[in-house]
Amino acid sequence: MRYAILPACLLATACNTHQSALAPFGVEAGETRTLTLVMALAALGLAAITFALYFRAVRAPEGSLSHTGGMKLVLWMGAIVPTVLLAGLLLYALPAMRPMDSAPGDLEIRVEGEQFWWRVIYDPQDPQGRLVDANEIRIPTGRTVVFTLAAHDVVHSFWIPGLAGKMDMIPGRENRLVVKATKPGRYRGVCAELCGLAHALMAFEVVAVEPVAFDSWLAEHQAGIAAPPKDSRGARLFADQGCGACHAIQGTEHTGQIGPDLTRYAHRKSLGAGTQEPTLANTADFIRAPEDLKPGARMPTYTDLSREEALAIARYLKGRE
Amino acid sequence: MSDPAPRKWQHRLHITLWVLIVPPTAWAAHFLFSYLWAAISCAKTGHFATMPWIFIGGTVLALAVIALAGWVAWHQSRTPGDPPPHKESTRIDRLRFLATATLLLAALSTVGVIFTALPVVFLRECT
Amino acid sequence: MSLHDQDDPALRCAQEERLRAVWAAPKGIFLKWTDCNNDAVGAWYVLTGFVFMLFAGVLGLLMRTQLAVPENDLIGPATFNQLFTLHGSMMMFLFAVPMFEAVSIILLPQLLGARDLPFPRLSAFGYWSFLLGGVFVGGSILFNAAPDGGWFMYPPLTTRTDLSGIGADIWMLGLSFIEVSSIAAAVELIVGVLKCRPPGMRLNLMPLYAWYILVVAVMILFAFPPLIAGDVLFEMERLLNWPFFDATRGGDPLLWQHLFWIFGHPEVYIVFLPSIALFAMLVPTFARRHLLGYPWIVLAAVGTAFLSFGLWVHHMFTTGLPKISLGFFSAASEAVAIPTAVQIFVFIATLWAGRVNWSTPLLYATGSLGVFVIGGLTGVMVAVVPFDWQAHDTYFVVAHLHYVLIGGTLLPLFAGLYYYWPLITGKKLSDRLGRLAFWILFAGVNLCFFPMHLSGLMGMPRRVFTYPEELGLGDLNMASTAGAFLFAAGVAVICLDMCLSPRRPLANRNPWNAGTLEWLAHPQDEHWGIRSIPLIESRYPIWDQPDFMRKVDEGRYFLPDAEEGRRETIVTSVIDARPLAVIRLGTPAWVPMLTAFVLGSVFILTTYHLYGLALIGSVLTLACVVWWLWTGTAEIPEKPSKPIGHGLELPLYISGRSAPGWWAMFITMMADATAFSGLVFGYYFFWTRHETFPPMALADGPGWFWPMVALLAGGVSWLLTLAARSANSRGATGAMALLLTGAMLAALGSGVAGLAGPWLSGLNPEAHSYPAIVWTLTLWTVAHAGLAVIMQAYVLARGLAGRMTARHDADIRNVTLFMHFFVLSVVVTYATIGLFPEVS
Repeated sequence: MRYAILPACLLATACNTHQSALAPFGVEAGETRTLTLVMALAALGLAAITFALYFRAVRAPEGSLSHTGGMKLVLWMGAIVPTVLLAGLLLYALPAMRPMDSAPGDLEIRVEGEQFWWRVIYDPQDPQGRLVDANEIRIPTGRTVVFTLAAHDVVHSFWIPGLAGKMDMIPGRENRLVVKATKPGRYRGVCAELCGLAHALMAFEVVAVEPVAFDSWLAEHQAGIAAPPKDSRGARLFADQGCGACHAIQGTEHTGQIGPDLTRYAHRKSLGAGTQEPTLANTADFIRAPEDLKPGARMPTYTDLSREEALAIARYLKGRE
Repeated sequence: MSDPAPRKWQHRLHITLWVLIVPPTAWAAHFLFSYLWAAISCAKTGHFATMPWIFIGGTVLALAVIALAGWVAWHQSRTPGDPPPHKESTRIDRLRFLATATLLLAALSTVGVIFTALPVVFLRECT
Repeated sequence: MSLHDQDDPALRCAQEERLRAVWAAPKGIFLKWTDCNNDAVGAWYVLTGFVFMLFAGVLGLLMRTQLAVPENDLIGPATFNQLFTLHGSMMMFLFAVPMFEAVSIILLPQLLGARDLPFPRLSAFGYWSFLLGGVFVGGSILFNAAPDGGWFMYPPLTTRTDLSGIGADIWMLGLSFIEVSSIAAAVELIVGVLKCRPPGMRLNLMPLYAWYILVVAVMILFAFPPLIAGDVLFEMERLLNWPFFDATRGGDPLLWQHLFWIFGHPEVYIVFLPSIALFAMLVPTFARRHLLGYPWIVLAAVGTAFLSFGLWVHHMFTTGLPKISLGFFSAASEAVAIPTAVQIFVFIATLWAGRVNWSTPLLYATGSLGVFVIGGLTGVMVAVVPFDWQAHDTYFVVAHLHYVLIGGTLLPLFAGLYYYWPLITGKKLSDRLGRLAFWILFAGVNLCFFPMHLSGLMGMPRRVFTYPEELGLGDLNMASTAGAFLFAAGVAVICLDMCLSPRRPLANRNPWNAGTLEWLAHPQDEHWGIRSIPLIESRYPIWDQPDFMRKVDEGRYFLPDAEEGRRETIVTSVIDARPLAVIRLGTPAWVPMLTAFVLGSVFILTTYHLYGLALIGSVLTLACVVWWLWTGTAEIPEKPSKPIGHGLELPLYISGRSAPGWWAMFITMMADATAFSGLVFGYYFFWTRHETFPPMALADGPGWFWPMVALLAGGVSWLLTLAARSANSRGATGAMALLLTGAMLAALGSGVAGLAGPWLSGLNPEAHSYPAIVWTLTLWTVAHAGLAVIMQAYVLARGLAGRMTARHDADIRNVTLFMHFFVLSVVVTYATIGLFPEVS
């Protein structure tokens, strides 16, 4: 099936393999791609037959089809053949709708959509193991993972094209999405439902790793990672500016829940929910004027902060100070 | 514009535009019933409806209504007269046209009801 | 027989002079806008819709320009969100639906050999509402105030006033106003098809266009009202803070999605079927034979109409509804492909059997079928749930819907444009320019939208103002942008062709040698519609009935004269088109325009929270409506009947079930009842969403006492109105007055008791969705009680003024019909809010 995405790649110079339903790394996305290819080929065939019949009809001399013959054409090609084909498609597609089986012990990850970022909570039911992160989701390959999807402000939609179909996050509701990754790698997911100004800038990293690596990562982070030094300039500025009212950093007094958790910011591969490289300079710019990078972002601007001060905070977050 | 009154019972049936929509209305009722049956059961009890016979009964009833309408229409459509297309301005042709259209709608509605019933065979999940 | 009379040319000439005088359009720079003849109103309507389409198309081009390259910063998200919201909303609400109504207002009377539609002033009212509402909604983007929540306006993004501005109100109120005019047009078209056919045109001889219009107008009747119900809830939340969609207070955003898509999916077929109707007219003409499989087309139209109401959840496959529910809707979504396939093969079979004349309109029809088939097949794909989980809200769906709408609406309209241009203007459009434009359009549409299938599956979501370069979607998007501009160039060529038309010579009458009635029209414009109303014996009378055109032109059929100087047309029976009566039609007047403008002011003032002024506007609207009805309807004729030729004598006044007015009331009330059922759906929807419902202790509900009083009083008002009707038909004016007064008091009492329930128990609608929906149902029903009082008072006044008599009783019959629906809503509302909490 790999060659099937070739036509797509012929048209596009660089065919992405990390955010595409045509390049699956999960069980469901793989099955759906097969379904897609079968249906697309069938559709092409049916279109070709219809067009061929149409042109045959236009060229036919008058009277080459009698009333009875015409009625037979309509009955067979218009009614019976489509009915049989559609019934077949339905019989093929309905069983494919069944959700993947999940067992009580499966890894549960709760993801909450916010304007315009993602709160990620591993083991949300377990008061000890509960691990809060943002904008990056780490999953083990070969194991069933249950996503619980929710939202507080507006409707978002959780879509990792290479892993599975999308599922909406609707205020007041909780949706479940059961997935199984098959191939390790770094992938990308996005918000697929219009959620406001920066809807286009609401993505996240998906890191699929071997189960052993995942287990040790989870255990390590659940045990708590080393807090950044408290007496640096960046740390003081972070506290003075009241960043902790919205952001949490594990091991410090900052426990805000309104914005993304920044404990693991140094490990992230992106800034602003999949929008930019998390370099020091970009981080500092974002701190001073989030609105410039993400229109509609809820974080206030800190233009009274000098660029140098912002860099200090950035260094603090990146854990280099 | 005037024709002799038809003789047989199936031609005397009072024909209105409403008759035409009996089969699709049966489909619509069955569809709405199926949707509410599943949705309310899932929303209020949290699991799939435990009484499938209600669904089976509803499906059989809908198919029976459609079959009845189709049967009447079939008889009406065989009223003697010139061959199709029914394009004369006569009572008989109008009757045969409406009957043919009703018969076709009955066929489509039958397919519609069967399609609607198929998911119940394959899916039993509320989530 | 009066045939020999018509042999006298002098008599014919005198008749023509009289008809011409009666049907003359008002002259003068201001007065001409009072015209209500279908050819004038229809032409304005089409032109306005076309301008809105061009405007929305330019918005689309702006979007494509922004998306041409990745990470472009030409247009920011604030503007971009307004662009796509308005592009979609305008194309759907201000182009596709109104355009079908506009075209039908022009064509339908011609197709049916009627002088005009039964309610010309209603057409004019619809047009002015459409113009005002359209300019209000479309113009908002020039003030950076356009709606920006997507054309389906999902709450809470759009209901939270901190996340969305006045644009959301403009969308809701402006488009609600336009929905009113759409429903008005639907009423007009349904009654036109059912009651204004020429004698002899039984159901089996009706032109297929009329069949489609009938079906589509009925669909509008059932599809638009749920959206109006949704609009009501939506604005209650925005303006009054009633939490229907706010999850923190017991609301649910999904209720809006249900109500929107119960409208939104049939909407797709509402804009698609009329275009197929155009094919059904032009394919036989260019195949030079009768359409093969007439009943199959009726099957397809009616079947599609029904099935299209079972598809709405396929827009909600990713909302996490139970899988079994998704299964039902997936099945119906696939079943709807069957009637669509039937229609396509009916056209193929007809072309096959006939001798094809390869004309420009047929070229457009062929191209649009090609485009549509691809859109239809991808439609079957997205109906498959697992595939839709991937494709939903991506550019795949953008591709699918544009293939369907361009192939199923826009290109067929261009086919219709080339086909019917001679009918409207008397001149043909250029074949050369037309074919050139076609090939540009055809290349443009495929270049623009085919790559989107791929960009969608390769991870590009909808409604993004930018996309990262690393996704490798730059080339696909550049191709789409190039295609969009190519398409625009094709549209420009068509515009050029139309602009050149006035310089071209007149075409022959019936230039395509078609067989249907509309081609009786003269190249030189005559406003009378048709010279004499023919007796129909065939589906293609111009082909099949000997000497048909000459007989019509020489006034040898019915109603060849206007002796009394009145605009008239014939009303016939629904099934067999037996002539029943001659009705007098509305003449040019200011009142439709005025009513549209004051009603529009109510919606616009409410948008800006100017409630006092809006209230004044409502009172003025009521005054206009009463003035309109009083002076323009149910007029008692100067003589009971008149001859229409061939020895037929028809009454000049009808009431009850055979009258167009009764049907109009019935159809309007069907729409009203559908909107009401949308609200009732809301109540029971909240019941399924809450473990205990009502969520608070029962004592906090409206109780059962006051609702039951309101129910009883409403029932009494209904019975008294029935009694008043029979008193009136006995000629007992005094008894009728007494009974009507009692009915008014009872309706008033029902309203007061209805309000007393939630008022006395102190239900606070801002606290929770339960009190909010109870109040909404109550207010809806109380408002109808108020309407009942006004109508009863109106009928009473008509009776006392001698404008309604025992025999001329249309007013009271129509009001009785209203009361049937009123009592139904009274029973449902008060049983629901008063009794359901007791049993649930």
